Amino acid sequence: MLKLWLKAFVSSRLWALSQKELRQILRDRQLLFLLMFPPTIQLFIFGFALNPEVTHLRLAVLDLSNSPTSRELVSALVENHVFDLWRVGTTYRQVTEAVCDGKVEAGLIIPPEFNREIKQGRQARVQVLLDGVDANKAGIAGGYVSQIFTAFSRRLETGASSPIELDASFLYNPGLISAWFFVPGVMGLVLNLTGSLVSSSALVREKDSGTLEQLLMTPAASWEILMAKIVPLFIVLNITVLLALSMGALIFQVPFRGNFLFYMAISALYIFVAISIGLMLATIARNQRQVVMTSFFFNLPIIQLSGAVAPVASMPLFFQYLSLLNPLRYYVACIRAVLLRGVGLEVLWPNVLALFAFAAVLLLASAHQFRRQLG
Amino acid sequence: MNRVAVQCIKELRQFVRDRLSVALAFGLPALSMLLYGFATRLEIKNIPLVVQNLDNSALSRSFIERLYTNEQFVPVRCPGGDLVKTVLNRGIAEAVVIIPPEFARKLRAGLPSPVEALIDGTDVNNARVIKNSIIATTNSFLDIEGLSPFRPLIHPQVRLWFNPGRKESLFVVPGAFGIVLLIYPALLCALAMARETEQGTILQIYASSLTASEFILGKVAAYVIVGIAETLLVLLIGFVVFHLSVAGDALLFTLGTLLYLIDACLYGLMIAVGAKTQNAAVQAVAFGGFTPALLLSGYLYPVRNIRYPFNLVADFVPARYYIELSRDTFVRGAGWAGQWFVPVFLTLVGLLLFRIARKRLGRMQISA
Repeated sequence: MLKLWLKAFVSSRLWALSQKELRQILRDRQLLFLLMFPPTIQLFIFGFALNPEVTHLRLAVLDLSNSPTSRELVSALVENHVFDLWRVGTTYRQVTEAVCDGKVEAGLIIPPEFNREIKQGRQARVQVLLDGVDANKAGIAGGYVSQIFTAFSRRLETGASSPIELDASFLYNPGLISAWFFVPGVMGLVLNLTGSLVSSSALVREKDSGTLEQLLMTPAASWEILMAKIVPLFIVLNITVLLALSMGALIFQVPFRGNFLFYMAISALYIFVAISIGLMLATIARNQRQVVMTSFFFNLPIIQLSGAVAPVASMPLFFQYLSLLNPLRYYVACIRAVLLRGVGLEVLWPNVLALFAFAAVLLLASAHQFRRQLG
Repeated sequence: MNRVAVQCIKELRQFVRDRLSVALAFGLPALSMLLYGFATRLEIKNIPLVVQNLDNSALSRSFIERLYTNEQFVPVRCPGGDLVKTVLNRGIAEAVVIIPPEFARKLRAGLPSPVEALIDGTDVNNARVIKNSIIATTNSFLDIEGLSPFRPLIHPQVRLWFNPGRKESLFVVPGAFGIVLLIYPALLCALAMARETEQGTILQIYASSLTASEFILGKVAAYVIVGIAETLLVLLIGFVVFHLSVAGDALLFTLGTLLYLIDACLYGLMIAVGAKTQNAAVQAVAFGGFTPALLLSGYLYPVRNIRYPFNLVADFVPARYYIELSRDTFVRGAGWAGQWFVPVFLTLVGLLLFRIARKRLGRMQISA
């Protein structure tokens, strides 16, 4: 029975057409290049370049007290590498100008009476100037400053420890390795870009060179032509998924805590979404240039509102609602959860359901559009 | 010089004729500005937080109240059971704070009573923000309740300069200028160049008496003019929608922007000279321009956090310097004193790109 079915399949038109498409893909050097090169480089750069760590901020110090305690305070700020001592100024102006010109990110001004006041058991004030241009960095740095100062004060008064010691632990990524956050996001981004690009250019090329009409003259039905276009791309894009996954594991040591089959299944769903987006673009556009421009127009919001780089929860409310219409958002949420949290369908089913809906609607719509154009 | 002007006018006419291109040339920068400006926020406000109170005393309840008062955390009901499974795995909350039994009694007796926090480390940046914030709350709680065994002897007065309200838009929007004003002028210029190759009209140029330099200057001039129009549009969005204001030297910014636009167009042209199709040119520009401008420029996170060997590349990314200039102009305001090297660097890059473009164009001419 199975043998018979297989035989029928192999001699079918769909099989023949698929083989033709696959051969076309493999022959097209530029396409193969697009499938392999940009995803690899993008993963590399995202993984190595984006790092939200707040360390090694340049610090300019004006120590008017010039006492052992004040020098200890400076070394307390420097010793855990949150701050690097950039220079020790001699005037107030030198320090403020360094902050103003952006030469340093922080300035510390210790007043002359600092040591005397501490000795007398009075509260000593020091001034910390932080460059607030990068609001996020300044916020975290400010937190570190007050923690370091509290710890230092405590050390001055021997033996006293805080009654509430916070015992904080980071789950899923205990070392807070930034690549573990960005790499899954970029995997989604890369799959979306590559999938839509490859499928749109495969279709538009055939439109441009007029071979699509030749295909239409054959007895093949339009759904067979479309299926034959999709199937080989689907296979090739699965290889991209595996490539990205193994890069993440080998180069960035991103853990894989969930179920592999589940991961491949949701990726397969997303491949359909990406291909459909590409087919849509190809049916809208009349030539290659328009494909490129319109794909910018669609892919930009898709990527920006996906949470791959900046979290969705931090966006203004309007954009959060808008991102509900973005299939990539669900995919990125899924793969991040599968890789890092190790959860499966029991938690992610709403996302999977959404992806299913997107894949079905987009695939049907693009097929409809394609057939209408042929008719 | 006259021939350069004629070439430039011809190019502008050709550009204006293609309605879709014109629409996209202004629609895309506007869309990008709004998306980047509004949707790039690194810090989460309203972080969902679950507190499991195993003490149930007045003191522990006032501790919980403190946690939620600074409006950074939003309370989520504690579902009980294994909190990692029921809360964090499901992503219901970003963090769980567990107050131990006997919390109040121990503190009143002067004994330590550690509080446990489980923080979702998936979003690395926000995990740090959450931890800092809980520590700060704990310290202020101790001070206010008078539970602190010592009075902190050193009091840091932390001043945030330039951006005291910590508005992230002041960081993101000037950065987005650097991306938008690089990628779109470069794309348009690359498309125009690749179209000449694709349609074969480049052969007419070769046959004419126009020199390679004149040809390049004419094309670049045309798209720099388009780029200036785009600049005015994105600046308008910056001023009106995001309430930017000029803090630094407007003249320096104008000069820097002009040089940056020239660099962008030269870059697009240089890439497109070798491309056989418009599609290939766009891919190359998008990939070679967009990725570094977005990732190696300090647009999101500090350049100095970039790891070797990419940090070496980052030193040569013009977007990095332009974004610094833009942030200085709209937020910090140091002007020439801090940013004098930006126009110098951009000029050098421009000269380099021009030389390469001319060389590649010349080489092509022989083979054609």
